[in-house]
Amino acid sequence: MIDTLFATLVSGLVLGSLYALMASGLSVVWTTLGVFNFAHGALMMIGAFLAWTLVEPAGLPLPVGILCGALGAAALGIVIERLLVRPYYGNRNMLLITVMTTLAAMIILEKSAQMIWGARLKQLPRLIDDEISIASATISAHEAVMIVLAPLVLAAIWAFTVRTNIGRSLRAVGQNQDSAALIGINVPFAFALAFGISAALAGLTGALLGSIRFITPSMGADPLTKAMIVVIFGGLGSLGATAGAAYLIGVIEAILVLWLGLYWTPFVLFLIMIVVLVFRPNGIFGGNQ
Amino acid sequence: MTPMIRNVVLPLAALVALALVPIFVIDSYTRHLFIIAFIYAIIASNWNLSLGQCGVFNFGHLTFFGVGVYTAAILAKTAGVNPLLAIVAGGITAPIVAFLMAAPVARLKGIYVVLVTFAFSQLVMQLVLSQSQITGGAEGMVRIPYLEIGDYSFIRDYKLGYYYLCLGLLVVSTIFLILIARSPFGKSLKAVRDAEDYAVSRGISVSRQRVLALVLSAIFTGVAGGFYAIYLRVASPEVFGFGTLTLALSMLLIGGVGTTYGPIVAALAISFATESLAGIRGFEEARFIVIAVAMILVLRLAPEGILGLFRRLTG
Repeated sequence: MIDTLFATLVSGLVLGSLYALMASGLSVVWTTLGVFNFAHGALMMIGAFLAWTLVEPAGLPLPVGILCGALGAAALGIVIERLLVRPYYGNRNMLLITVMTTLAAMIILEKSAQMIWGARLKQLPRLIDDEISIASATISAHEAVMIVLAPLVLAAIWAFTVRTNIGRSLRAVGQNQDSAALIGINVPFAFALAFGISAALAGLTGALLGSIRFITPSMGADPLTKAMIVVIFGGLGSLGATAGAAYLIGVIEAILVLWLGLYWTPFVLFLIMIVVLVFRPNGIFGGNQ
Repeated sequence: MTPMIRNVVLPLAALVALALVPIFVIDSYTRHLFIIAFIYAIIASNWNLSLGQCGVFNFGHLTFFGVGVYTAAILAKTAGVNPLLAIVAGGITAPIVAFLMAAPVARLKGIYVVLVTFAFSQLVMQLVLSQSQITGGAEGMVRIPYLEIGDYSFIRDYKLGYYYLCLGLLVVSTIFLILIARSPFGKSLKAVRDAEDYAVSRGISVSRQRVLALVLSAIFTGVAGGFYAIYLRVASPEVFGFGTLTLALSMLLIGGVGTTYGPIVAALAISFATESLAGIRGFEEARFIVIAVAMILVLRLAPEGILGLFRRLTG
């Protein structure tokens, strides 16, 4: 019994790491620009495909592939910001319009990936081809790397937004664009930076996930949906709340899978989300504003 | 153009033209394109009721269509219900599902409405995929009974029966939408969209109007779903996918959010455009890219839609 619970907790941590990396990217863009990026899952998929192209046909080492996957996704994210988000700043309907333009970006990326890389299933090798046993639970070393890496990346981003001037400028822009511009912050640069960081997180997640799941053009859909549940659950307001909610959802999902099976888990997750929303419309950790 | 011409003469002329189409078009493929276009016209114009008229950021509209598809498919094939009744049943189950979705959405604001409606549609798709003994799972359902009255199958005479049935559905749905838009209720929806605080202070319940708009928009969308299942004789989880969603959304955007006829005109034009693109080799997937780019261009250059642009140009 204890063994099963421990194994469930570990698989919940793997899921939580995945969701934390995805959802924190959404949160960075939301807190800075007030935009919800529907292409986030597609950017994750692009990161996985880029890493695969560099590692499998081109024969580069896997860490290089993962890094380039994250950088490539970041570049695409900046392009999306420039072309599909920036023209609508200050527009009364900006929220709705950017939902639609990023949705269109998602379709373009997904269908392009399908035309470029085809429908055949692809997979990356693992970072470490080994298994790790912690007490009674056995996971692949690759998943262990994800569990360790995710909090480190999140901590680095947190430190960046709190300790550095450029990072603080992102938060200033998020709070008040006009005042930020008045004290000399380059607002368009901050927007592009937020999108770049967010997309890099998505690309990194995709490249890491490409070793344990199949890489397909639609692989981003499920993590995006889960990341949505996470941000609804935790509120979109702060990085800490989003990360906390990600791990909570990961563990809840793992327990539900054990208890109810794979089919009913999404329903119960959704029901929990509805109950949270009815009583706390800004999320469990969200304020009451 | 006077409002009389725009609101009465043009739509009636278009209707007469569409009613005469089968006289001139006798190949079943072109008629098939018209039927698919009519179905999308029903989806897009009803979506406009919640998204355009009432301002609910509803991205789960295709769920109602999918519920109609599977209601008709399961009733007609598994339960042996008359296909005509199965189509109508889609117009009952879809509003019920819409109510389930609307209840939590009614009190939410902004991005949370988008997220919950979107997640809801993913959830219904998960249900369809997981209950494979009832829905056929990822493979879907095939060989659904076709429609016949007496001995007359609707597929005969180059789909003549289906053509007029679907056109009839579109006409009834459009009249329904116009009656809503002109009623005091329809005006209260616009008030909720444009001046929420004022609407509340005049005694309009924002939550109730939102729930009603979503439920009403699901009725004909569900019927269209039921028709789609019986007409094509298949039901597949693809109806919940991003492809169908983008297609319908592009019709709504390009036709003009907030107008009743715009989405219908756009649905006809875009259905024919995508189908002819699908005929070109190598464009089966690329046509979705073309549509997505068109959507972005319309949002950038003519936010009020092509019909609005046309109206602005003609004064």
